[in-house]
Amino acid sequence: MFAARTLFAFSCLVLLALIMLPSGAQAQSADADNGEVVYFERCVGCHGDEGDGLGPAAERLNPPPRDFTLGQYKFKTTGFDDIVPNDVDLIRMIRDGMPGTAMPGWSDVLSDQEILDLVAYIKIFAALDEETPSDQVDYGSQIATSPESIAKGRELFLQDDRCAECHGQEGRGDAIKKLKDDNGERTWPRNLTKPWTFRASNAPKDIFSRISVGIPGTQMPSFADPVSKKKLTIEERWHVANYVASLAETKKVVAPEKTVIKALKVSDALPTSPEDALWQTAESATFFLVPQIIAEQRFFMPSNDTVTVRALFDDETLALLVEWDDRTKSIPGDAKAESIANAEMSEDAIAVQFPVTIPSGMEKPYFLMGDAANPVNLWHWSSGSTEAPETVSLMDASGAETLAAREAAPAGMAGEGVYRDGTWRVVLRRALTTGDAENDTQFAEGTLIPVSIFAWDGSNSEVGSKHTLTTWYWLRLGAPGGGSSYIAAIIVALSVGALELWWLYSVRRRRVAGQT
Amino acid sequence: MMLLKMKIPALLRLVLTLVGFWGAFRIVFDVILGELIPASLLTMYMFFVAAGVFMVFTFTEKGTRELLAPIKALVEDPTKKMLRNIVFVIVPLALGAVIWQVSMPSFEAPVELRSIHPAPPSSVKVFGKRFDLRTLKNPYRVLEKEDPEQFSELVAEGAKVYIANCQYCHGDKLDGAGPYAQGLNPTPINFQDIGTIAQLQESFLFWRIATGGPGLPSEAAPWLSSMPVWQNFLTEEEIWQVILFLYDYTGHRPRSFESGESGESGEGH
Ligand code: HEC
Ligand code: HEC
Ligand code: HEC
Repeated sequence: MFAARTLFAFSCLVLLALIMLPSGAQAQSADADNGEVVYFERCVGCHGDEGDGLGPAAERLNPPPRDFTLGQYKFKTTGFDDIVPNDVDLIRMIRDGMPGTAMPGWSDVLSDQEILDLVAYIKIFAALDEETPSDQVDYGSQIATSPESIAKGRELFLQDDRCAECHGQEGRGDAIKKLKDDNGERTWPRNLTKPWTFRASNAPKDIFSRISVGIPGTQMPSFADPVSKKKLTIEERWHVANYVASLAETKKVVAPEKTVIKALKVSDALPTSPEDALWQTAESATFFLVPQIIAEQRFFMPSNDTVTVRALFDDETLALLVEWDDRTKSIPGDAKAESIANAEMSEDAIAVQFPVTIPSGMEKPYFLMGDAANPVNLWHWSSGSTEAPETVSLMDASGAETLAAREAAPAGMAGEGVYRDGTWRVVLRRALTTGDAENDTQFAEGTLIPVSIFAWDGSNSEVGSKHTLTTWYWLRLGAPGGGSSYIAAIIVALSVGALELWWLYSVRRRRVAGQT
Repeated sequence: MMLLKMKIPALLRLVLTLVGFWGAFRIVFDVILGELIPASLLTMYMFFVAAGVFMVFTFTEKGTRELLAPIKALVEDPTKKMLRNIVFVIVPLALGAVIWQVSMPSFEAPVELRSIHPAPPSSVKVFGKRFDLRTLKNPYRVLEKEDPEQFSELVAEGAKVYIANCQYCHGDKLDGAGPYAQGLNPTPINFQDIGTIAQLQESFLFWRIATGGPGLPSEAAPWLSSMPVWQNFLTEEEIWQVILFLYDYTGHRPRSFESGESGESGEGH
């Protein structure tokens, strides 16, 4: 009897709680006035007093801060022909931020309530506060990923250049046409092999949303739109989403603890071609490329974001394979390349920086092309034009303004680059030692050698001081476990053993002496 | 009670004490404080502790004898011959293995210790003038009390300078996590952290902002810092304004000369 009553009371409580929960969530109404306060504290710097995105950094950011007065949101899950976003779409972008843009996630400094208030406030800029979405993305039923689904997705991706037209055959965003958003701002199609640069995620459901809605304001279209010649059914969109999700190249994720490029010694001939299979035996290291926003003629809108390096050497030569995704093969004079490029096009280029003298202490040359007391060498490669082939040169610098090129061949240096499906692969080789320690870096096995990299995307107006760069990292020639280390180990083990025997011997002698 | 009366052999006590210290070190420095000090330094501390503990145990002759008794017994007692042989084989092999491990060339990058807040020079020449850093003050600071309205306008100007120039590295939340921060070493300073601008005078910031990474003394590794030389891009007024903004946004107060403290703390975090 008692037990039944308790059970009844308990069930009532649970029921009550269940009723309270959703209404509790509803009660959390948004306060646009508070949103305004938070907006002027946190968002005004980029999105502007008027919500028009014309903050002081607007001209230095690509993509630029969103103009809220247009009411056009890129990452929404309402129907493709419905301009009104869902609140959850905006909440998500504000809370988690938009990777690959200047828009950070705010969840660490703003409460859920404040974010809700902000959404209510920014919708007012385009009078979206009165509107409710009329149409939602229809997800049907999700098709789980499988090799078959991925294969179907790939076919649809390539069919009639549906996605490849902008995202490239292998998805690296190596577009065959120049893209601009509705405001005439240059847009770069996403490199689909780098999902950590997606504004939303690369979960199939997010990709499905993008394919269905498109990215409003940009040239990324909706593939759910019935008038589209390339439209896809729900089922087909799931296959494409599964395919895109499978493109992630995890080798290109930057591992912050990996600061040393390990050069592997080979007994076979060192590869001269970037596509030699031998490169795969060397461990790769990937670094972030940062735009040169430090010294005069700053450069704010980079297109290259990471660079991957491998190194091999033999008794005479050091060879580096430098690999980076670049959406455009910039060959001045080539009509097609020039049609994709920003106004003036230069050659694509890469340079690997070494100190001329390997420092014995902490002090290195200034990371931006050295300084008067600490000169650097730059191994420079550039892609060539329709008139001239690719060039390799050796550059000397003690400060960026002193940069001067000389011929590479006398120092035993050569190189070769190949562009394929949105990736440059460039081999640079030089003799380990030259006769000129005054001007050339001399490489020795076993020491840590500072190294850094500069990159230029010629189609993105990158030339001269306008480039991307890494900070100092390390290069080390030689595999661990040299011969001398186990000789030392054997000597120690043997001498300790000898000491033990001597100890035993002396104990025994003492005992014998004691007995007699 | 039984336990207390049972005597733990001195050698075992020594080993237990050392293990206890080591465990405590690991818990305090690695787990609680989150790997505060590098492993190499921890090893060095442990070495000193071990030396100290050993000295305590061998302080008296009796203590020494007690400590060495089990070892002596092992070698001299004929009934322990089997055990002795095993120990005598294992010890040299283990030592050899340790030597092999240690002398193996490692691929690890060296730890580069740099001073984060080095002592500033007494004066600095920027904008074609010499500024005495021991007395230099933010000319706008007095307006905070005298003319709050104009002061907040200046803060807003500073905010514009910041968004247009600094957020790429120091982050628009001033947390040192701007879009390019991950690609830089050393990482841009986190102004929200109470260990940075909250500990400094405005004159120190003026020096750092005007002369950037290359203006650092050598103990702070000027060759690594990506901090730009802002006298090349900003005016003197803009630098003072952005300093106002840094303090206003984070809610920190600058250190003042009156408080007797100076920003000359040379600690390396
Ligand atoms: C450092 C500059 C910066 C600050 C500060 C900033 N944003 Fe943004 N925001 C951007 C940029 C850049 C974009 C455009 C990204 C894109 O187009 O992919 C953006 C886009 C957005 C979008 C559009 C999302 C979509 O799906 O289209 C929203 C909403 C937004 N921001 C809200 C905010 C709010 C709210 C704040 C303040 C808490 C804020 N932003 C602060 C730079 C900033
Ligand atoms: C006409 C050019 C064009 C076509 C065709 C196109 N895209 Fe895009 N896509 C873009 C552009 C431009 C962006 C980047 C927009 C932005 O964020 O500014 C983009 C972005 C994306 C994103 C990134 C979403 C995120 O969260 O950041 C995905 C995924 C994507 N596209 C998938 C596809 C797929 C799959 C197809 C084919 C079904 C396709 N795109 C077809 C131009 C295109
Ligand atoms: C390219 C990246 C970059 C930019 C842009 C940048 N900084 Fe820095 N800043 C750094 C780095 C890295 C450090 C830490 C190393 C050092 O102390 O030099 C730093 C350090 C500082 C410090 C020293 C703080 C302390 O606790 O000692 C101040 C102050 C500072 N920055 C202010 C600014 C201001 C103001 C701007 C904009 C006008 C700015 N920074 C722009 C990278 C940058």
